[in-house]
Amino acid sequence: MQPSIIQMIHNQRHYIIDNWLEEINTVQTETVGNNVPKEMDDETNRKFIEMIIDTLEYEQREAKGKLRGFVERLIYSGWPLSYFTRGMQSFRSVLLETMSSGEGVNSKRIFETFYEIETWVDGIVNQIADEYSGSWENTIQLQRHALNELSAPLIPVFEKISVMPLVGTIDTERAKLIMENVLEGIIEHRSHVVLIDITGVPVVDTMVAHHIIQAAEAIRLVGAECILVGIRPEIAQTIVNLGIDLGKLQTKSTLQQGIEAGLQMTQRKIVKCNTESASSVVIGG
Amino acid sequence: MGIQSNVEVQTEWGIVSARQAGRNLAKEAGFSSVDQARIATAISELARNIYLYANNGEIIIEFLENENVSPPRRGIKITARDEGPGIDNIRNAMEDGYTTSGGLGAGLPGVKRLMDEFDIDSRSGVGTEITAIKWLR
Amino acid sequence: MRIPILKLHKYLLISVQVELDDQTALQFQEDLLNKIHQEGSLGVVIDLTSVEMIDSYIAKVLGDVVDMSNLMGAKVVLTGIQPAVAITLIDMGIMLHEVPTALDLEQGLEKLQQELED
Repeated sequence: MQPSIIQMIHNQRHYIIDNWLEEINTVQTETVGNNVPKEMDDETNRKFIEMIIDTLEYEQREAKGKLRGFVERLIYSGWPLSYFTRGMQSFRSVLLETMSSGEGVNSKRIFETFYEIETWVDGIVNQIADEYSGSWENTIQLQRHALNELSAPLIPVFEKISVMPLVGTIDTERAKLIMENVLEGIIEHRSHVVLIDITGVPVVDTMVAHHIIQAAEAIRLVGAECILVGIRPEIAQTIVNLGIDLGKLQTKSTLQQGIEAGLQMTQRKIVKCNTESASSVVIGG
Repeated sequence: MGIQSNVEVQTEWGIVSARQAGRNLAKEAGFSSVDQARIATAISELARNIYLYANNGEIIIEFLENENVSPPRRGIKITARDEGPGIDNIRNAMEDGYTTSGGLGAGLPGVKRLMDEFDIDSRSGVGTEITAIKWLR
Repeated sequence: MRIPILKLHKYLLISVQVELDDQTALQFQEDLLNKIHQEGSLGVVIDLTSVEMIDSYIAKVLGDVVDMSNLMGAKVVLTGIQPAVAITLIDMGIMLHEVPTALDLEQGLEKLQQELED
């Protein structure tokens, strides 16, 4: 930027800052809301505007670093992007107003000044927007990761019998991960019967049903059998109403029934012990 | 980047060496064992199509790196190119169970499902070029 | 390359330890059918634990082997299909619906015995 413009900004520094603080106060309530105490607002506003003007002193790289640090802190404490964009808009109008009301400026000069200021402000706005979108992408990545961790591993409940509890919405990405977990788990635990429990799945549409059928087929290929359990009445209704064909897939309404069926398939059953403590159960083969 | 493998497919052995090259590259790129199997299987299907229908062609397997997006994406791209008769009816060829060779008819639609991106360009009497990409998760 | 076929009483045991190329697969098909005929075998277990990839062609050859063996009165069980292989088969839409499966060779033999008793 031309030294003369920088000089002009510095000369008018107090005037610019005061005007801006007034402007930002009017938009503040719309953007930030009442989450932040007034004193903190004012303090942040002042720090922000002083930092913006101070960046004129630094080299570009250093200026970017300062801005990034400041913006990151505000992102972290939950300030909305609109605070910055509205703030920079006001800043630009205050600047331009100040510049054009200066003494003895010809039109060519004004045009150049406008252009330089536009470029400067745009650069800052772009950087702020980049910081925000970067932080949003990070958040999305973290949440996706957290969701994938929800895909529980296969849980062995008896010898040869394991349970895969499904919780939450099943999309294609998760379905793939779940399938891998189930199959690896079958090999690891030598499971003969796998119970897929959909008690925690809110909606079973054709897509989810498709993923479950595919998982059941894959389970059969590696040499185990699959029973779908946890079918609530409303799930049974949607499955039939949608005309979903679960094929040869065995189904049970509860996990308990599923386990009983699994024991039967592996030629075992739970019998009551008559001797000594009557409440204990053993698995007889 | 810059690392790629070209395999001529003229004999059945070309199919085997193409899928082995693909598996090795997929392993190096850091793909999971399931994705390694997906990539090797897709290559096997594409190479077999060349062997069955065009007699002569090549499979090119290369690393991809796209740094223009954030976060940068890496993957493997398979190109199957031949100067065979071309595919008369691509819509049919992409249909499950459609076959002109007595196979299962799972080849091309299968490749599309195994990979993340799939593109087919075929001209009757000129040849066929199929590209398929698998991105690293 | 030939895949060795072992005989155990009325059963035949095969453990595929090599990468299945087309020629080997076809040769195996022929060898197995001959062996079933020769020995009058009632059951076959094909263990695929070491197989890293099955494409649609190999899947078709395997499915055919099962159908052909059934025609000759021998039940076939496939064992040890790896998770990665199972997933690629499902992705491709190949279900091998009519083929019995088991976790490993031992379970495969047990399954054969059960099916033959029924």
